[in-house]
Amino acid sequence: MTLVKFLATRLATLVFVLLTVSFLTYALFVLLPADPAQLACGRPCTPERLETARAFMGLDRSVVEQWWEFVRGVFTGRTFGSAGASIDCPRPCLGYSFARNAPVTELIAGRFGVTASLAIGAAVLWLVVGVGAGAVAAVRRGTALDRGLMIGAITGVSAPSYLVGLLGILLFGFTLDMVPVSGYVPFAQSPVDWAWHLVLPWSVLALLSAAVYTRLTRSQMLEELGSPYVRTARAKGITERRVVTRHALRNAAIPVVTLFALDLGALLGGTVITERVFSMPGVGALLMEAVGATDVPLLVGVTVFTAAIVVIANLAVDVVYGVLDPRVRRGGRTR
Amino acid sequence: MSLDRSDELVAPTSSAASGAVADSAVADSAVAAVGRVSLWRRLARDRFALVGAVVAVAYALVALAAPLITRALGVDPYTYDLDALGPTGAPAGPLGGISAEHWFGVEPLTGRDLFAIVVMGSRTSLLVGLGATVVSMLVGTVLGLVAGYFGGWVDWVVARLVDVLIGLPALVFMIAVGAVAPEWFPRLLLLVLVIGLFGWSSIARVVRGQVMALRASGFVRASQALGASHAHVLFRQVLPNLASTVVVFATISIPGAIGSEAALSFLGVGVPPPTPSWGRSIGDAVTWFSVDPVYLLFPGLALFGVTLAFNAFGDGLRDALDPRGGGSNRRRRRGGAR
Amino acid sequence: MNLAPRTTRRPARRVAVAGIAVAATLALTACNANSRPGAASSDEATAVQQGGELRILTASPAINWDPATSQNLAITTLGLVERRLTAWQTNADGTTEVVPDLATDTGTPSDDGASWTYTLKDGLKFEDGTPITSADVKYSVERSFAPELSGGLSYHKNLLEGADEYGGPYQGDELDSIETPDDKTIVFHLDSAYGDWPWIVSMPAFGAVPEAKDDIQTYTTQPVATGPYRVADTVEGTSVTLERNPEWDPATDDARTAGPDSVVFELSQDETVVAQRLIADSGTDASAFGATFVPPAQLAQVQQGPAKDRLVTSGPGALAYLAINTEADGLDDLDVRKAISLAVDKNAYRVASGGEIAGDFATTLVTPGIPGREEYSNGVNDVAPEGDVEQAEKLLDDAGWSGRELRLVVEDDAPTLAKAQAIQQGLERAGLKVKIVPQAEDVWTETVTQGDGSKYDLTLSSWQPDFPSANGNIQPLFHSSQVGDGGYNLARYSNPDADDLIDRATEETDVDAAASLWVEADQLILGDAPVVPLIYTKNSFLHGSKVENFRIPDFPAYPNYLQVSLAP
Repeated sequence: MTLVKFLATRLATLVFVLLTVSFLTYALFVLLPADPAQLACGRPCTPERLETARAFMGLDRSVVEQWWEFVRGVFTGRTFGSAGASIDCPRPCLGYSFARNAPVTELIAGRFGVTASLAIGAAVLWLVVGVGAGAVAAVRRGTALDRGLMIGAITGVSAPSYLVGLLGILLFGFTLDMVPVSGYVPFAQSPVDWAWHLVLPWSVLALLSAAVYTRLTRSQMLEELGSPYVRTARAKGITERRVVTRHALRNAAIPVVTLFALDLGALLGGTVITERVFSMPGVGALLMEAVGATDVPLLVGVTVFTAAIVVIANLAVDVVYGVLDPRVRRGGRTR
Repeated sequence: MSLDRSDELVAPTSSAASGAVADSAVADSAVAAVGRVSLWRRLARDRFALVGAVVAVAYALVALAAPLITRALGVDPYTYDLDALGPTGAPAGPLGGISAEHWFGVEPLTGRDLFAIVVMGSRTSLLVGLGATVVSMLVGTVLGLVAGYFGGWVDWVVARLVDVLIGLPALVFMIAVGAVAPEWFPRLLLLVLVIGLFGWSSIARVVRGQVMALRASGFVRASQALGASHAHVLFRQVLPNLASTVVVFATISIPGAIGSEAALSFLGVGVPPPTPSWGRSIGDAVTWFSVDPVYLLFPGLALFGVTLAFNAFGDGLRDALDPRGGGSNRRRRRGGAR
Repeated sequence: MNLAPRTTRRPARRVAVAGIAVAATLALTACNANSRPGAASSDEATAVQQGGELRILTASPAINWDPATSQNLAITTLGLVERRLTAWQTNADGTTEVVPDLATDTGTPSDDGASWTYTLKDGLKFEDGTPITSADVKYSVERSFAPELSGGLSYHKNLLEGADEYGGPYQGDELDSIETPDDKTIVFHLDSAYGDWPWIVSMPAFGAVPEAKDDIQTYTTQPVATGPYRVADTVEGTSVTLERNPEWDPATDDARTAGPDSVVFELSQDETVVAQRLIADSGTDASAFGATFVPPAQLAQVQQGPAKDRLVTSGPGALAYLAINTEADGLDDLDVRKAISLAVDKNAYRVASGGEIAGDFATTLVTPGIPGREEYSNGVNDVAPEGDVEQAEKLLDDAGWSGRELRLVVEDDAPTLAKAQAIQQGLERAGLKVKIVPQAEDVWTETVTQGDGSKYDLTLSSWQPDFPSANGNIQPLFHSSQVGDGGYNLARYSNPDADDLIDRATEETDVDAAASLWVEADQLILGDAPVVPLIYTKNSFLHGSKVENFRIPDFPAYPNYLQVSLAP
């Protein structure tokens, strides 16, 4: 399979997945025994006004039609309502939230900074902590330090993040009054406040996720340290420090970086629980708001956006591997 | 299923790179290579894993005997005891109302016995944890089998199913499905199904890989040549070879499923009250922490303990199966979500 | 007031004609009810400390400033930025009255009561300095009819003449029943006499919107201010900052004291965290108050600690009740409904709501603070709060109750579920089997207000009128016209005698005569036991130590934002 064809196939898959995800989301929420038009009906509501609202929101059309409008809108933009007071949703239009009176794309853009700040900071932190601990454990294999780190890693994996997060808020936020307990300050407004508000969520997310990286790094390192070329390097008299950092760690890094790319992609799509626990108005919070209000356009838009990021992260990793390793293109395995 | 898709994603996915690397470690080499005897010997040397196993079994026993335990002690998780509460609805007395009558204290606002709630809550956790795992394993094994065995368009369809599954926000669907399902449909079963159906992608991938390897091997081709039906080859010849893999995979999937139930209940979309659930108790208890920290202690420890026990055991099991002893680099589904 | 459109609409939907059901709090979504404080001015208006930055902590993720789609009460969040023809004044004795705002008086009715005339005050200006005219008010009302801008308080759409056929001003049509003979005068022509019209024109749509500046896509976040503040900055999902509007003239405004120099809304806040921040009272939180109710756990915490004097609890306000679906199998039997009423454990319900501070036990439908309310006893409504289980069992036996499982359909947020369990255990004492069916808010609304009502037997709700009148307590909840189709007659109660009484009371123009008719209706309806009154809820709010003039009137049971000021 040529590289071009490989890329084309992966892209087609991406489009297919996004279409399916958006359709499923539409279908499921249309089945829901709740009427989004009721939101827009006002108080007191009359059956006539309900009809008007339904027609305006396009809810009187079939699911397939509604979904198709959505798909078209992504590429062409959409216009709602009458000429006198039309509502424009410029492309890429991920729908228009009538409950919020705003294009979904705009709402997501407004929230993405929060999610990105949360995700990137935490990811950097857990990469450093996780890889560091894993490398140390591997080099000190079999020692008490190694066992301690690995038990710590399992413990970290087992702790529910919301529990740790909330306890962190209570301890560092309220009892010790060291860090702010909630809210978000945009980076542009004040970089210091921005970081200060994010310290706690970063730490919680990172400490729990680092465990996975610790384990992965350790096992990869052990494998590399046992490999022939490392033995050769040692035999040539290269210092142990150099062996570890230049050779073992570098090679062990490939799967770690892969995992990192995927994790980061997933986090960028929004972290429902972390954002909830720390009152962070990110994409995950937006999704929960949409669920709470049965705001179908917002829901579908955010779902598709999130799915897109996740799928793109997958795609990116696949492509990089595909370029690096022709066997992947043939459908083989990397190992 | 995980709530924040980071978990979901990272569990081996469509990517050729991440999980597949690791899964194949268990899948391809481990089980086949290690005899049962040496497996137990390895496992017996891993004290951490053994403790995990013992604790997990203890949890299971408590869950099985929960109604007997509570009845013997004369408590139940449903009866209100408003006399055990102060005027504000917080438990009367220190330490969350711990007394001879209420060993773990009482729940604020209701006065229900917290010991009974925690003990009976183990049933919810384990039932959903085990049930969802069984669903995942069933679906994943069957799809992995057919994908690996038939290849071609079947494989393609399964691969796309996995792709879509990763793209769907599990939590949103759980909420929506909960609302769409008819009111008579048992919520516990619904929870089992949804968590299970969001969690089969990794096992499917592993099974697929193994089946592809087996298919290439001699005995499957020999059977086919002898005219054995596909069903016969698949279920009589291929499937038995996968048993160990599936068992190991199931073990390490359980804590994730337990964590998902707790997380959903924490978010208020899990098991409906008054059925006890640790996740819901934790969600409630967190708001009471400054007034009644003991309320958080027991459900929190119970959940953490069972997740840790299964993780420790599963981890030991995997290490024992991997003769290289490096520990697996596979990323497990974690308890709860971030 | 509702910060977010979404939030805004939710309590709304519980209100059919004259009420607002008060949602307690929500787990997954922001609580709305929180954000609807009301209120107006009081006499100390002039002496208020000026300066400082007030922070308002709210669970809502957004503020909808568009008057056409907002369900804000007269004077909360929107009241800081947008004035209306009338406002509410909250007096020191706890009463609330309607007072002039943009208009010089609360309205002059024609002889038949079907036309109301208002004159605008002199010197009123928009934030850009252009004068406010009666045409701007007319335009503001007209745009609320546009389908693009539905969702707001809609009482006027049922009252104004010719409103049925009107579709908003965007196609160039005008609503002829609103006349503006000159720049200062505006006349409303109604289908029939309506004595509460002065309250109606305190609603958001009766402000002023300059047609030239109307962009329906941006008005939600960038309104043209007429009040003491204007929107300076909005960070999606995070915060909204208000700064002083230099064109606002305090001399024309008795409803607002405008103490703080700026107001910052912190959005998307968890209500538990809000309460804990205010208890801690550190840093800028000292100049903050919570727009969310204090949850039960923090109520307990506050009552034990030094923050107690910063906790403000309203008088008994909304009626919390258990509705019994009178059309459901077996529940059409009065004795079964009486048995349910007797078996309910109001005490457990109140404890689940936070104990004594959460409210007083309820025995009537008309709530305290409403003119003409009377206590009475029919042998069921005023038994001990714990209920009378024996009597309930006896009634059930005599009625030959089938013993079937009752479906208690409730919203799925934690506070509501706690209350539902209290109801469940109470009824089970009398051998009534109850299954709690939690539903997402919108699904719940659909289940209980739409369709044929076959999907529930019992449900929990609470209700606060949009304006203080017994009409608002009873008509929306018990008139047979309010069954289904979005109405809030959740008991699906239909009694021609009660309908007749309600109609007569609505038409009665003499206040005292109307009050006694409402009391009669109260007794008649509760005699049929379609609902079980549980408690008259009290709302508790916390504020920081520098916040002054933070008061809650008897009606509505929310703090008056427009009067709050900061200590220097």
